[in-house]
Amino acid sequence: MKDFSFGSYYPTVSFVHKMNASVKILLCIAYIVAVFLVQSFYFLGFAACFLFVIIASIFSRVPFFRVLKSVKGILFFIIFSAILQVLFNKEGTPLWENGFITDVGLLTAAFIVVRITLVVLGSSLLTLTTSPVELADGIEILLYPLKWIKFPVHEFALIMSIALRFIPTLLDETDRIIKAQKARGADFESGNIFKRAKALIPVLIPLLISSFNRADDLADAMDSRCYGKSKNRTRYKKQTVGIRDVTGFVFTAGLIVGVIFLNGVLGVAV
Amino acid sequence: MRIEIDNLSYSYSAGQKGLEVKALKNVSLTIEEGDFYGIIGHTGSGKSTLIQHINGLIKIGKNSGSIRVGEFDLTDKKCDFNKLRSLVGMVFQYPEYQLFSETVFLDVAFGLKNFFPDLKEEEIEERVKTAIELVGLDYEKVKNKSPFELSGGQKRRVAIAGTIVSKPEILVLDEPAAGLDPIGKRDFLKLLKNLHKGFVKTIVIVSHDMDLVAEHCNRACVMNHGEVFAEGAPKDIFSRKNELLELGLDLPLTAYITDKLKENGIEAPNDFTEEDFIRAITKWYEGEKR
Repeated sequence: MKDFSFGSYYPTVSFVHKMNASVKILLCIAYIVAVFLVQSFYFLGFAACFLFVIIASIFSRVPFFRVLKSVKGILFFIIFSAILQVLFNKEGTPLWENGFITDVGLLTAAFIVVRITLVVLGSSLLTLTTSPVELADGIEILLYPLKWIKFPVHEFALIMSIALRFIPTLLDETDRIIKAQKARGADFESGNIFKRAKALIPVLIPLLISSFNRADDLADAMDSRCYGKSKNRTRYKKQTVGIRDVTGFVFTAGLIVGVIFLNGVLGVAV
Repeated sequence: MRIEIDNLSYSYSAGQKGLEVKALKNVSLTIEEGDFYGIIGHTGSGKSTLIQHINGLIKIGKNSGSIRVGEFDLTDKKCDFNKLRSLVGMVFQYPEYQLFSETVFLDVAFGLKNFFPDLKEEEIEERVKTAIELVGLDYEKVKNKSPFELSGGQKRRVAIAGTIVSKPEILVLDEPAAGLDPIGKRDFLKLLKNLHKGFVKTIVIVSHDMDLVAEHCNRACVMNHGEVFAEGAPKDIFSRKNELLELGLDLPLTAYITDKLKENGIEAPNDFTEEDFIRAITKWYEGEKR
């Protein structure tokens, strides 16, 4: 339980770590767009994307196996969507007479597997190199234009950072309550899934109550420091755009152009 | 049941470079049946980790020592932890946060039903009633109340009732007096004393409240950085005044008064429980008057 870390931030000093969080988020979105631009069955566009991830992870000094590990979490989802494709795709010729598995189905399945994997690899690189707090800050800056339509951007970002901040605290709390109930003979390890779900009630209720108490306390603490009374809050960490970010932009632009080019040369529309 | 801890070591995040924290280093302790035992130490000195070993909430690692509680060998894979936990009750810090049921009755019965699933309804009621009355609450008044309607001190009592309901022989309490006002604290300790007289055989409390340890415990140990720094009767421990202060620990109030009296040429008793102390002072005062 203690080893869990949200978004699995990998703390080190590197080129990518030092980049501006907002820029990284934008580039990550651009990368995902690039992955979705790939239309070719010949996976050259994907190869370009994969190369991009490898180069980015070299510059981030995150061990590549850590990046790959992120796929493990959604492995079930990937396999599930692949199976659906294989079973329900009616295009193309069946592999055997009257069979329901077609060649196009298999290819599409492979295509989807690679596409999801690449998207996950790229976005996990973002969370590996950006701490949750930086991420929340970055999102706040990106959402700034929404202020025009009176969207409470700052409050939204605050909610996000508080939620992230309290994850370790609540994990500790969960650990403590689990131990307290275990000491009273609660059994979380045996029985079928329904029995186990029921066994969690003595943990979830105290956890819920204490989170509400914490929220109350936090609100009081913020109130007593006049939070929200001044209009222009300054920032503890100023984020600037530097040469690293420009490099990142150029690099990602290169990827998108490359993918479009590869589509044009070898493209067989799906 | 006596508790024998032999050469116990424990590390958090063991095996992870740079993250490993040694919480216990070769701790050996024996707590006899009938003791009112105090474990003193700073935050992070390993006291909580130590007591969580006693009922198997933290498993002993390989080559990290051993614990025997009565006839239970905690290093044995076949050790019946469920039975052990019914005999070694554990009350955590701020136990009121573990309450969850709709009524006080159900919450107190929770542990009992877990440990003894074959118990009959009447028997459950009987034992819950005993437990609630033992902690000084009115059974008829509170049994159908929601535990969340009660005051902080009452909640804590309910939580303790929920632990003693399984009739443990050993009761371990982590900072039992934390967050109570002076009167609440006094009442609460009276309650523990009463439990110790008849219901539970051994009580182990973890605390950094020196007055509490001096007043109530017959034996104690001082933990520092995961090691046992001193062990023995509180009287002997508190006479090593300077060493304790060096560790950043406090002394009981009575120790300070004794010192002040000595400075003024009055030889006060080297005893730290309030009652003995007052008796000795009065005796001295009356002798002086004559």
